[in-house]
Amino acid sequence: MNKNILPPKLPLRFFRWYCHPDYREDIEGDLLERFERRMNEKAVNAAKWGFFTDVMRLFRPGIIRSLEGNYRLNQYAMFKNYFKVGFRNILKYKLFSFINVFGLAVAMSICMLIMLMLADQKSYDQFHKKKDRTYRILSKMPRSMTPNASSPFPLAASMRENYAFVEDATHLVPRVGGDVMYGQKNQVIRGYFADSSFFNVFSFDLEKGNKNTALDMPNSMIISREIADLLFADENPIGKRVEFIDRALHIMDFDDGSITGSNPVDWGSFTITGVLDGQKHKSHLKFDVLVSGTSLQALYNQGKLRDLSNYWEWYSYCYTYVVLNRDIKEGDLANALDELVIKHYADLENIRGLKLIPQALNNITPGKFAGNPPSLRLPIEAYYFLGFLALVIIISACLNYTNLSIARALTRGKEIGIRKVNGANRGNLILQFLSESVITVFIALIMANLLLMLIKPAFTGLWANQYLNFDLSGNIVVYFLFLAFALFTGLAAGTYPALHLSRFKPVSILKNPGKEGSGKFSFLKLLSIFQFVVSLFFITTSILIAKQFKHFIEFEYGFETENIINIPLQGNDYQRLSNVLSAVPGVSVVSGSEYIPATAGGHGIGIRKLGSKEKHTHFQILAADSNFVHNLGLKIVAGNNLPPVDKSDRFILVNEAAVKALGYQSPTEILGQSFEANTHRDQLEVIGIMDDFRFRAPFEDDKIAPLMIRNQLKSFNYINAKIASSDISGTVSKLEDKWQQIDMAHPFKYQFFDDQLANANRWIGDIVSIIGFIAFLAITIACLGMLGMTIYTTERRTKEVGIRKVLGARDLNITFLLSRKFLGIILTAICIGIPLSFVVNGLWLQNFPNRVDFGFDVMSLGTLILLILSLITIGSQTFIASRRDPVQSLKHE
Amino acid sequence: MSKHHLGEFEEIVMLTVAILYDEAYGIAIIDEMEERLGRKVSIGALQTVLRRLEKKGYLSSRFGEATKMRGGKRKRYFTLTSYGKKVLTAVKEQRVGLWNAIPKLVFNE
Repeated sequence: MNKNILPPKLPLRFFRWYCHPDYREDIEGDLLERFERRMNEKAVNAAKWGFFTDVMRLFRPGIIRSLEGNYRLNQYAMFKNYFKVGFRNILKYKLFSFINVFGLAVAMSICMLIMLMLADQKSYDQFHKKKDRTYRILSKMPRSMTPNASSPFPLAASMRENYAFVEDATHLVPRVGGDVMYGQKNQVIRGYFADSSFFNVFSFDLEKGNKNTALDMPNSMIISREIADLLFADENPIGKRVEFIDRALHIMDFDDGSITGSNPVDWGSFTITGVLDGQKHKSHLKFDVLVSGTSLQALYNQGKLRDLSNYWEWYSYCYTYVVLNRDIKEGDLANALDELVIKHYADLENIRGLKLIPQALNNITPGKFAGNPPSLRLPIEAYYFLGFLALVIIISACLNYTNLSIARALTRGKEIGIRKVNGANRGNLILQFLSESVITVFIALIMANLLLMLIKPAFTGLWANQYLNFDLSGNIVVYFLFLAFALFTGLAAGTYPALHLSRFKPVSILKNPGKEGSGKFSFLKLLSIFQFVVSLFFITTSILIAKQFKHFIEFEYGFETENIINIPLQGNDYQRLSNVLSAVPGVSVVSGSEYIPATAGGHGIGIRKLGSKEKHTHFQILAADSNFVHNLGLKIVAGNNLPPVDKSDRFILVNEAAVKALGYQSPTEILGQSFEANTHRDQLEVIGIMDDFRFRAPFEDDKIAPLMIRNQLKSFNYINAKIASSDISGTVSKLEDKWQQIDMAHPFKYQFFDDQLANANRWIGDIVSIIGFIAFLAITIACLGMLGMTIYTTERRTKEVGIRKVLGARDLNITFLLSRKFLGIILTAICIGIPLSFVVNGLWLQNFPNRVDFGFDVMSLGTLILLILSLITIGSQTFIASRRDPVQSLKHE
Repeated sequence: MSKHHLGEFEEIVMLTVAILYDEAYGIAIIDEMEERLGRKVSIGALQTVLRRLEKKGYLSSRFGEATKMRGGKRKRYFTLTSYGKKVLTAVKEQRVGLWNAIPKLVFNE
């Protein structure tokens, strides 16, 4: 008989699969016997065919294994056993369980925090009935990286009139910001001009008033419930008339020292036609007031607002939203927008390349970063970044679990062997180990929930959060997601150990424990190295950013800020206020400025020599008076300071950078020269040259750009008051008293210049906190893992240590011997981590303005931290092991 | 009506198991039946009946020693239980009773 001919594989496997396990062996034997006999008698193919038919004819109810029945009962008992053994293991090895549970809990709590944040963001704008068909139109200039949330004024009307698939379109003009007055009461409100199509696109509900007609008539106003309560208290606001004084306040209430408004303009009286409860509508659109779009015409006519209703080139003027008919795709809208761009922008040279892009309403929060947004939100990119950090941490924690489980395989080896001998197959064992990891993770989940309660307030305490307003309470869906996430984490952490441990051969384990798993140490080393590389990377990165932060906080701006407080004018007349405030005892100098230098914003202007045809040179312009120069201690290099306010706004101060930019050799050459600006016909004459100083925030510009200071009283938004008195708080309260005599409507607001400069850099502080926290977690988890490994190894080598000591080895030698492997891991990690950190951090740092040196100091400090922490971790264990009494160790079993 | 009902094929299988005495495993039973009765029996048909009879308690089984043949798989030997023997005898007596009840005329024509 030809032994090489085996029965056809597929039918045999099929038979083994369906056959009742009790019958499998002998029937398979019968089948094989018949096959062997046929092989001797007949052709190979005939024998194979015979085998196949036999198998097929065996496929009948009496032979096929039952789908349920007694086997299931058994399974249940086994599961009970798995859980029992799992819990016992967790309780028995308390330290290892703690390391695993703690690491996982920390990592999970971070992930859960991000899930809560995302859940909160996802709940925005969910109340709109047409949310799946609503799009915002973004405009993007080719030179900018990110699109703008805003779009041109005529767009909405054009979409509505020219495209049949557009159900409706509406736009919001964020040009309402000022004081509303009713009787003696006065409130600051911010909001939009909106058409009646607003309520067709969005599903905002009015608490009072009829939303079909509320925005129809000119000079109608819908106010938020909050404002209604403050202004009208118990009265019914509908139909009441209020006065509105516009101050061109920005839609976002965010005092960053930038241009905040302009002189008050009386817009006349408005009728309240609706009250809207903003609290009930979680939307990216936040407003205190909606003014009917029909009111615009009168304001145009009176010259109080510029009519831009036919200007396609002003793409940052309003927000456009479009609702498409059902079954219309986003692509159709995009095509229509492309068409519009070709039609309207072909002749407009200065904004060539502008694109209009649709953005689904559902993708606004959380969404990609868009410039000029209607409200402050964390862009989706930030979540990717945070998610990446969380992922790194959770991977590190899972690796700890994997590492410790595999390293401890030896202790579990016997159990695995016994189970296998008793008939457990690999699937059972995989299930057992997975259920163990899932148990661990669920314990971690409980702990993670507790940790979450601790990190939630820490997170909401971050500086940026006062503007982002996260609601981290979560909902039932999120909690189910947590469970699913925990299950997934458990499987992720447990899969490799389960596959690895279940592969053990019972014979070799029971006969020779200790052999299995030893070959895996290179893999385990790799995991540890990874953890430490990650830790080192985050440590050095956070040190670097902290250094950068410190550099910015201590930045040399080139002007004095000490004891200067900046007071927003809030629409008051500068001249009047400065006269009153400068009379306050303790105040030395009072000056006015358009914005606060080196915080945010600023704006540009192009100038050229009067009468010449050369290209305009780009300048930054700041309106400020002569006292401003004194207040900030700016040095006049040549010429004189600006003349007092009442003389003329023709004179300008320029900085030294401007002298070079305009092509002059020395400051004296430019003195007295006249220039013209590209925005207006005024003549500008250089009256003095100042030393360069930093008027932009340090992260914005590396170099100092040309700047001019011009005395334009109309543009002032801030009073800068220098306090000479040592009693600062007393002086401030005196200032407040004076303020209240002039302006009863607005509360006195002020900020110290120093704080404002620091605040402009605070976001970097937030990043330091986040990265530093992540670094702390990464190193903690890595060290815990290392601790587990060290304890385990030293325990296993107790006897060896005892023998060595008896033979005369010294404590230090033994400490070193036991630590050597781990030191290797740390050193390898340092060798990989340092260049990695250097390259990756170099990527963003090289384009960062005013960057700090990134080199030996940061790296060595990071390495030192890593080394100290890991040496303490390793050394504590190995040293204890080496000091142990050899008599005790030799007794150790 | 007897409570011990045996199908025709079941009866033949039990008889064959009895004939083979100590050597009654799957293939041997098939061979024996093919030889004596000249009828083709598939493994599937036989095994189903064997398991059914075992479940009813007419047959008992034990594993033999593993050999190099049959891919190292052990044989399962079937033997009649005493209950099986009783049932088989009862069936036989029924048949004999029936035969005896046939008038002599029917066969001696």
